[in-house]
Amino acid sequence: MGAYAMTMSLTEDQRDCYQEITNVAMGQAADRLARLLNVYVILPIPKVNMISASELHMALAGTTVSDNVSAVCQGFIGSGIAGEALLVFNDASFSDLAQLMNYKGPLDRHGELELLMDVSSVLIGACIHGLGEQIEVSFNQGHPVVLGQHCHVDDLVKSGNHQWSQTLAIEIHYEIEDVNISCDLLLLFTEDSVAKINQQVDYLLD
Amino acid sequence: MALPVLICDDSSFARKQMKRALPEGWDIDLTFAGNGLEGLEAIRQGKGEVVFLDLTMPEMDGYGVLEAIRKEDLPAMVIVVSGDIQPDAQERVKKLGAMAFIKKPIDVKKATQILTEFGILSEV
Amino acid sequence: MTKPGAEFGEMHWLMDVLQSIDVGLVILDRDYKIQLWNSFMENHSGLCPDDVHDKPLFESFTDIPETWFRQKAEPVFELKTRTFTIWEQRPYLFKFKNSRPITGRSSTMYQNSSIMPLESIDGTVNHICLIIYDVTDIAVNQKDLTNANGHLAYLSQIDNLTELLNREFWEKEFKREHKRCIRTSTPCSLVMFDIDNFKTINNNHGHQAGDEVIRTLASMVRQTARETDICGRYGGEEFSILLVDTDATAATNFTERLRKKVAGLVVNIEEHEIQFTISAGIAEYSKKFEKPSLWLEAAEKALTHAKNNGRNKTTVYQSKE
Repeated sequence: MGAYAMTMSLTEDQRDCYQEITNVAMGQAADRLARLLNVYVILPIPKVNMISASELHMALAGTTVSDNVSAVCQGFIGSGIAGEALLVFNDASFSDLAQLMNYKGPLDRHGELELLMDVSSVLIGACIHGLGEQIEVSFNQGHPVVLGQHCHVDDLVKSGNHQWSQTLAIEIHYEIEDVNISCDLLLLFTEDSVAKINQQVDYLLD
Repeated sequence: MALPVLICDDSSFARKQMKRALPEGWDIDLTFAGNGLEGLEAIRQGKGEVVFLDLTMPEMDGYGVLEAIRKEDLPAMVIVVSGDIQPDAQERVKKLGAMAFIKKPIDVKKATQILTEFGILSEV
Repeated sequence: MTKPGAEFGEMHWLMDVLQSIDVGLVILDRDYKIQLWNSFMENHSGLCPDDVHDKPLFESFTDIPETWFRQKAEPVFELKTRTFTIWEQRPYLFKFKNSRPITGRSSTMYQNSSIMPLESIDGTVNHICLIIYDVTDIAVNQKDLTNANGHLAYLSQIDNLTELLNREFWEKEFKREHKRCIRTSTPCSLVMFDIDNFKTINNNHGHQAGDEVIRTLASMVRQTARETDICGRYGGEEFSILLVDTDATAATNFTERLRKKVAGLVVNIEEHEIQFTISAGIAEYSKKFEKPSLWLEAAEKALTHAKNNGRNKTTVYQSKE
């Protein structure tokens, strides 16, 4: 187990490289969102970690401050690298978001679903594309799945039945300047992808 | 005399990428800084007549560095190199006195093109 | 791929695949005019490519809400990003009738769709591709599951025999109502009642007759109570009702009405004619009931008082202060 954990950890250079390429990818995604909503998106430094299945809940719980969230999950795959992108939206964000998106309908569950889908399409798509471009992998996106609306962040992902022990996680927090909108994007790669994506990153580091 | 050039970025990978994008055979005295505070100190010591500056950094971000340069009237020509490519970000740094903006990931030809444009590379 | 002849052959195969794939493919230009329409679309819409070619999408398919669709498609042109719609948002983009008489359980096809940018050589996006997936099975199963879960949740709250709330769920509701009473000043009364000499009914007529008596009483409770009242089977022959927005006087009226109805009732079970009575205790919420259990005790005390004073009676709990 000890030796296994060793091989699954990231070197400082690798972590630095992941952080940098994520930075660039999230910048591209923020640019799309900024153009869509006509706002400025605040970009903090992303977190890159190897996490174990038991830490997934902590990673999720650590992302948001509010109790009630809505979330969309979307798979991506390309050149032997696969994973899922999870976008967790603070429910308090919807009223400001509706205004920025010029959404005229009633802001009920259905209205919020529309907004959630529109924003997640743009954010997840651009981020995955940006990452792929830098590591020279063309990712194909699966269809988005709504994991829940108005639920507690703990209830988003069922615990205890994950088929992996440790994998690469990238956490990105987005906030929009001057309005009450915040969301978190978690990119989680499959365990099998880690070696392959590390290889792409090492190639960049060379 | 070699031109003092500073690359200020919190990512060592990004610093390396930037170094690679500099024109070949350019006679410079290159310094690296890992955050805004370090970068500002280097500029004060005259190590950054030309500065390639990242925006998102711990300690002091790129905006902070630009403000300090302006406040202390330091002789630095700043080219912002950032992944934050929102129109607003580009506008803000220009207002704070940045000379140019290079988008990450860096297009290798872009640095040379900008340096030539501003006459910094004329003697090469 | 290397020989020109082989390349042409591959193109031909690809076109065949795109035509026969069980997924809808539509290509739209910048004015939303249809440029490509594969067999999936032709088969389900009944319109052949010639019928729709170069026609604006919104003219040929008036079901598609134009503003909504543009909101999904414009970012694809402008930001070169893929967008998605799911059936939970809108069951379908194109209204296609169910084409499966045996296994199809929905009148229309549920669809997910994906809108993809198609870049020209100069890097601009002048066309988008619409991919339509038939997700009817998934949607119908999901709906079944939601209904089943809803039904399970209902079952876990209901007492089998009486179809009133079971004790566990009633107590949950009671605790919530208690909390609400603490916050607000509207009155609320708790009624506990049970069947007098229920053991004798069981002994004389059998347990099935006893069950029938309980069932009859429960249906009488349902008829007498308002929709907002919270009625539960508290134990074997004991019942509990929370009368919201009701003071002790109104609660007494309600309980007396029920008691008299029951007393006048004859339950016919096979050859037996069974008559029975109930005794009830009422406690209106007061501030000194700091815990739900204290409130419950008060109503139980009143019920015991009614029992000890000859049965077939209603007693209201009187505070000693």
